[in-house]
Amino acid sequence: MIIDVNAYLGHFAFRRLRHNTAASLLALMDSRKIDKAVVSSAAAITYRNAQAGNEELAEEVKSHRDRLIPFAVINPFYAGWQDDLKICHEEFGMTGLRLYPKWHNYSLSSPSCRELVTAATERGMVISIPIRVEDNRERSWLLNIPDIPLEEIVELVKAHPKSRFILLNGLGYTGSPLGRKDNGLPTNYTVEISRLSAVLANEIGQLITNLGAERMMFGTGMPFNYPDPALVKLEVLDATEPDKDKIRCRSAVTWLRL
Amino acid sequence: MSIPQMTSSSPESPPGITRRTLLKGSAAVALGAVALSSVRGVAGEEAAPGASSGPQAKGKVIDCHAHLTHHSRSNWEADDRKLIEAADKLGIEQLCCSTLTPRWPASLEGFRECNQWTVEGMRRFPGRVLGYCYVNPGYGRESLEEIRRYVGDRGFIGIKLYNEYTCTEPVVFPVVELAIELGVPILHHASHSHYFVEEQPRLTDGGHLAELARRYPEAMLICAHISGGGDWEWTIKAARHAPNLMLDTSGSVTDANTVDMAAAIVGVDRLVFGCDSSMTAGIGKIRGADLSTQDKEKILGGNMMRLLGRRKA
Repeated sequence: MIIDVNAYLGHFAFRRLRHNTAASLLALMDSRKIDKAVVSSAAAITYRNAQAGNEELAEEVKSHRDRLIPFAVINPFYAGWQDDLKICHEEFGMTGLRLYPKWHNYSLSSPSCRELVTAATERGMVISIPIRVEDNRERSWLLNIPDIPLEEIVELVKAHPKSRFILLNGLGYTGSPLGRKDNGLPTNYTVEISRLSAVLANEIGQLITNLGAERMMFGTGMPFNYPDPALVKLEVLDATEPDKDKIRCRSAVTWLRL
Repeated sequence: MSIPQMTSSSPESPPGITRRTLLKGSAAVALGAVALSSVRGVAGEEAAPGASSGPQAKGKVIDCHAHLTHHSRSNWEADDRKLIEAADKLGIEQLCCSTLTPRWPASLEGFRECNQWTVEGMRRFPGRVLGYCYVNPGYGRESLEEIRRYVGDRGFIGIKLYNEYTCTEPVVFPVVELAIELGVPILHHASHSHYFVEEQPRLTDGGHLAELARRYPEAMLICAHISGGGDWEWTIKAARHAPNLMLDTSGSVTDANTVDMAAAIVGVDRLVFGCDSSMTAGIGKIRGADLSTQDKEKILGGNMMRLLGRRKA
């Protein structure tokens, strides 16, 4: 079984996406033997009112809940976010969040964000954080959104030891406390592989050694990305089959309580 | 000069991860992977060590954009070995490599020692590493002499230009004219972002290369790393009307539709597979593209073979 913890549905403001409906994403997943995917709204990244994106997502996945696991995008500085969180969790059945602090112009250390993380944790929701959406060099002339510095993630995981975090679209963890063995940090975060190397520097291999494969997860970033590069990583990764299986799906099953 | 023969793969390759098992596994995992696997099928079995690999060989996978490590890095030898091992794992048979200076603009001594190290790399990995001659066109006569020495006499397959000059500056033209004379391609660093890249003030983009290609229709120009060069949609559209400008698919960005759009706009005959050290991204993008097996075969190596086959004696 393969579970992709890094997938999206809907439109993105700056580039046309293919395979961005439930039906077409599922067809793409079928062609790649990907069984389940955690999805959030791509439109909610740039909608002022992110909840509209969550509503679109809930409608889109309604008939496909066996395979598509919806996560909510919440902006803790937007009016009514507490209501949105409640609706997403209780009515839409969303079991996790995706946070975009740089796109939504807030700090992970701000009281509002900390309040959101606490509230989501009390609901048993997982909090995933894309370190980036796109490569910054291809950005539109309209904006300049930096990647989230890993130091800010370090502070977040330390401040919320009872929360469960999934870090998406990141790399360079081995150069940060996040990717080091015996780093003194809570073991409350996992790392997704879509931008990590499996050859040359082999950051995936280093992280298996340092964190354990049970804290690593498969993800593609589709439909922003081709799913195939992440699949290739699994194929060429020099790791034991049990470790590969953890990355493919076991870690996600545990962390997402599937 | 014929293209060097490929030697056997590294004896240090981890057991159980060979190109053959990779491709077999790929076919099982993904429909997209079937294409790459099928390329091998179309091409026949893998070439036996030392088998002929001339320009007519079908199904060869050639990375058009690779780099050997500068010898100022203490681990350069191990890093070069890792590059070949990664290529082994991914079924990449040949890598077109340059060695770049760590700082730019490159000095005369800087690019000379780089080219000498590329020769040494070709000797360490015979048949696997093909050399690009890297020069700073600002050195005029010395640059041309360097190209004649390495392309003309030592079997390098092309010329690598970086960001010392925008490719439309007249100082670059003699290099292009010499490339035409020798019948070899120029791989040119390129990127287009919608902001000024301060650290690369004379950066070339796909539009500049298209202009150069129109000025020199006999030249074989390769626009580097569309998947690591900013707005790839812009680059693909800028290249559309320059038939002698190829696009290199390399780069760390794995945005869906990159290869598909490039194929639709400029045509598959103008795409060449590359990694630029992003190895799984490079292979994954070609697998992921919604193209026929035949088209993927062209991108993975056929088109580069065609360019290399135009070398003049």
